[in-house]
Amino acid sequence: MYVLRRVVVVAVAVGLAAAGVGGGIPSPATGQGAGVFRVPLGGEPPTGDPYFATDFSSGDLTFLMYTTLVGLDSAGKIVPDGARSWDVSPNGLVYTFHLRDNVQFHSGRKVTAADWKWSFERMGDPGLRTAVGDVVLAGIEGYDAQQRGAAGLAGFVLNPRARGGFLNRLAYYAAVVLDRDVVEKGGKGWYEARDAGSGPFTLKEWVHNDHVTLATDPHYFLGAPKVSRVEMPIVPQATTRLSEYQAGQLDLVSVPLADYQRIRSDPVLGKELLVFPRAQIIWFGPNPRVYEPFRDARVRRAFAMAIDKVKIAKAVFFGFYQPAWSIVPPGIPGFYSGYKGLAYDPAQAKKLLADAGVAGKLPPLTIAMNPIAQDYQMAAEAAAAMLKENLGVDVALQKTEFANFQQGMNRRTVFLLLYSKSPLDRVSYANPDFDRFVDDANAAPTEAQRTVLYHKAEALAVEDAAMIPIVFSQFALLKKPYVHGLETTPALTGWLRFNAVSIQK
Amino acid sequence: MICFLAYRVGLTLPLLLGAAVVIFLAGHYAPGDPVQVLLGDHYTPEAAAHMRHDLGLDRPFVVQLAAYIVHAAAFDFGVSYVNPARRVRDIVRQTLPISVRLAACAVLLATILGVTLGVGAAVYPRSVVDRLIQIGVIAGLSVPSFVTGAILVLLFALRWRLLPVAGWGSPQAAVLPVIVLAAAPLAYITRISRASVRQVMTEDYVRTARSKGLRAPAVLLRHVLRNAALPIVTTVGMAFGYAITGAFVVEVIFNIPGMARVAVDAILQRDYTIIQTAVLVYTTLFVVINLVVDLSYAFLNPRVRY
Repeated sequence: MYVLRRVVVVAVAVGLAAAGVGGGIPSPATGQGAGVFRVPLGGEPPTGDPYFATDFSSGDLTFLMYTTLVGLDSAGKIVPDGARSWDVSPNGLVYTFHLRDNVQFHSGRKVTAADWKWSFERMGDPGLRTAVGDVVLAGIEGYDAQQRGAAGLAGFVLNPRARGGFLNRLAYYAAVVLDRDVVEKGGKGWYEARDAGSGPFTLKEWVHNDHVTLATDPHYFLGAPKVSRVEMPIVPQATTRLSEYQAGQLDLVSVPLADYQRIRSDPVLGKELLVFPRAQIIWFGPNPRVYEPFRDARVRRAFAMAIDKVKIAKAVFFGFYQPAWSIVPPGIPGFYSGYKGLAYDPAQAKKLLADAGVAGKLPPLTIAMNPIAQDYQMAAEAAAAMLKENLGVDVALQKTEFANFQQGMNRRTVFLLLYSKSPLDRVSYANPDFDRFVDDANAAPTEAQRTVLYHKAEALAVEDAAMIPIVFSQFALLKKPYVHGLETTPALTGWLRFNAVSIQK
Repeated sequence: MICFLAYRVGLTLPLLLGAAVVIFLAGHYAPGDPVQVLLGDHYTPEAAAHMRHDLGLDRPFVVQLAAYIVHAAAFDFGVSYVNPARRVRDIVRQTLPISVRLAACAVLLATILGVTLGVGAAVYPRSVVDRLIQIGVIAGLSVPSFVTGAILVLLFALRWRLLPVAGWGSPQAAVLPVIVLAAAPLAYITRISRASVRQVMTEDYVRTARSKGLRAPAVLLRHVLRNAALPIVTTVGMAFGYAITGAFVVEVIFNIPGMARVAVDAILQRDYTIIQTAVLVYTTLFVVINLVVDLSYAFLNPRVRY
């Protein structure tokens, strides 16, 4: 029977080959050679220019090919990357980075201080309006770079009122050095044919909507990667990625939430499962602009205390996600470990509503859900049921098309951030104490002082219920047992550059 | 015939023009502002105004519509909103042949098998073979392609490891998607072939052919099939249309980098230029398929004259 099946399949395949179907470049997921690491991209990367890479696919791709001044290790600690070390002036406002003298672009040209300078100028070019410039360059008042013999120096002068998080912003995966020759000579889509990077891997082939192949750079300054190439088939469907992993066509995939329990209890796949914190929070943003009762902090607190986040984490997310008491997720510098926030207390919540004079009089509430992922909706459904049960408020859930959701966010008709002067304000929360804590934190000379002030601001926001944290999500990855040396991170898609990865079958 | 050909081809032009206008209006009045989506958290009124200007969305509506039609007529569909370095024309050029090849293979498989099974069922009515074919037809028509696809992947890719789960570029990778896409058209063609052949077999001229001593295969080939061909050709044309639209599911399930999957990705990313172009391209395909079916009538049946 097996032979018969095989004959039938081969016959059909031969027939299709004769019919000319499937001509072209074989999909990389179908052929495995020694030392080839196969990791999917979740979609066609909209760009290969790191300064415009704000989505996961482009971020995952460019991250492997480029070099930042500093990076993050798997514990979230700042470590040297393109710079071998750095000095800080006594007032903490001037950073001088000592550039490595052995970094070279994939074109073979050495990276110089002038390349770093030109790259940061391009990042901040107002005419180019890069997507990452405002993130990386915030708080930087000036920068310069000079070549001193074989090595170089890059200096940054910080704004004393906005110095917080400078090194973390420099460690952002897109704050990279670019090969000016490649960018300037390559035209608008310079990144389509070749990269301008100096990272462990270089672009070998990009077949749009099908796959990207990265070749190893043997001259990578931290040592040549241990795999011969990285093959990245473009597979938008999470279930298809999982099936390809199960069929042995991929080496590393993320696990869809719906499949987590099945994978965890599977005797084979369960052993290949990696679970670790993710820098992501699911939260509820009480916006007084669209729901008048939220102007009273007691009402917001009542809503926060009526949502049982422990139960949501356990029952809705089967213990995979963790209840969120603070706002900054674990794994992100500044995580407020041990902070307990507002506990679940329906009786106290009812009392707060009575004190505010709105018990039994609350108008119906509509919660707009982020439609982009299933877990937002799962959390919203559970929270809505708890609010109805504990406070008697009628809650409707509104799932809109993402374009409308984004529009609502930008018009501040839906959600966060909490700093009243922030362009990203989403919930119209204006508390001078909160703003003062943030201002003081940004001006604090040391990281320790800054963290204390950020924690005060965070605690104020949680206790004021300006934002109601629900759960912290986690990463769940499946990794083949023959893949060694993978380093994980709470950020991005969950992994660091693959320069230490080896395939040992 | 030439007049008819000119008339039918001429009719397609206002049809496509109307389609282009409707597609443009739908994109223009669809909820959600593409500029706000593209800017995301980087949205400011100034940045939005810049982007709107760059994309030409700040021009008067009529100017935008006219520019769209003029450019579309020259096969210039602009650039992708999400990746402005890529021209939509290039995306169509790369992806459409894959979708057409996939659909053509599915229709070819469905036609060869469907006509064979339909004729077999008609020649041996109410036999075991006929009953089995009828059950297969009902299954083919009732089971959706995403279910067929999942079952075939489970068996052939995950359990027996005979074929890849997904992908494109090798004959093995094409086996499952072609079978899944061919399933429903196969059922349609089988049913129509059976009915058409059964009906023609009752005609007087078939009885005459038999009574003059013509052998059964010759009767079938010369007299029955030729006269039964018209409805079958219509169904094959419709099957091609089905295969083109069915590719929207199959290309996603099997991760095939064709036009349909690109269109689905574009919808999820709000890449409006690609969405509009995909709709226009598929409309044109349907118009062309209908035209070819109409013309094939005259070719196949001398009695049909326009």
